[in-house]
Amino acid sequence: MKKEEPRWLEVLKIALPLCLSYIPIGLACGILLNVAGFNVILTGLVSILVFSGGAQFLLASMLTANAPMHTVLIMLFFLELRYALLGSSISQYLRNTSKKFLYIFAVSLNDENYAVNYLKFATDKSWTPKDALMVEHYSLIFWTFANIVGSLIGNLLSVDLAIVDYALTALFIYMIVMQVANKLTIVVSFVAAVFAIISMVVLKSTMGLVVSTLLASFVGFVTEDYLVKRGKKRGFLLKKIKPKASRSVISKSGDN
Amino acid sequence: MTEKTMEHLILIILSMLVAFGPRFIPLRIFSTRDIPRWFNEWMKYVPVSLFTALVVKDVFIDTSAGYVFTGIHNMAKIIASLIVIVVAYRSRSMGLSVVLGLVAVTLLAMVFTV
Repeated sequence: MKKEEPRWLEVLKIALPLCLSYIPIGLACGILLNVAGFNVILTGLVSILVFSGGAQFLLASMLTANAPMHTVLIMLFFLELRYALLGSSISQYLRNTSKKFLYIFAVSLNDENYAVNYLKFATDKSWTPKDALMVEHYSLIFWTFANIVGSLIGNLLSVDLAIVDYALTALFIYMIVMQVANKLTIVVSFVAAVFAIISMVVLKSTMGLVVSTLLASFVGFVTEDYLVKRGKKRGFLLKKIKPKASRSVISKSGDN
Repeated sequence: MTEKTMEHLILIILSMLVAFGPRFIPLRIFSTRDIPRWFNEWMKYVPVSLFTALVVKDVFIDTSAGYVFTGIHNMAKIIASLIVIVVAYRSRSMGLSVVLGLVAVTLLAMVFTV
């Protein structure tokens, strides 16, 4: 193994697949924000300060629908509430860091860089909080750039919003597939789908997302706990699924 | 600066605060004290549950009509989603999954309802 490569370049290589995939999504988001009436500067600003695909898509679609500000903010809060769960799960790897570091880390934490960092922390012993922060900042740069370009080309062409919106859904599907470690994960996903439909139809708001997430993940946790206690760790549901293609890029140094 | 721009600027700043709280507070609490094991085991299933719920919201729920379950009405998105699952599983590439998903939904929207 070569060791001359500077660390920033090594980290950039790990973050690059994520960064590149931000380009189409960021472009789509920039176009939507432009339709919602954000100029280029505001689009750049929201990309840096909020830095959340889901939140920005939501902002765009709610502003386009002329929703009042407090409704937008309440919806955003529930959408962003998931970061509390992501944050608590990654916090175990961020011990011995300063309060200032945590502050900076939290500002640019989001779903995708969380996924990359969590996987690296779990599989690569040499992965440091500083590296993790670098991944966040690389993804932030690509995201903001793509949003700004999207905002600029949004002026030039007209797009079907329902289709551009789908970029985010495709992204979430990708992340579900990446989370699948055993058959129980797939079961939890189906349970979550059913809970999500029921709770959203009943509550008539995105609060349904929070409720179904808490319930479905709890079902997963209880089922796993039950199976492990019964000594079925290698049984049908908990047996590890081997991916068809290797996770070559993300966990390169963790594999061997 | 127009009135609309000012309003948007205020919205961005408030959005930032709303987004920052949930990101920072648990990080702050749990990086200095132990997370109970059961909590960690529970959190393991949070991302998959949340992402599923978000996908379901886009594909099966009509939010503009007051959160109505649409069944198989959005055929274009349902088929595109199946394609994205296969692409993601085979390639494990985020960019490819998103781009092919967008291409698929664009083409399918010509035949089915979105």
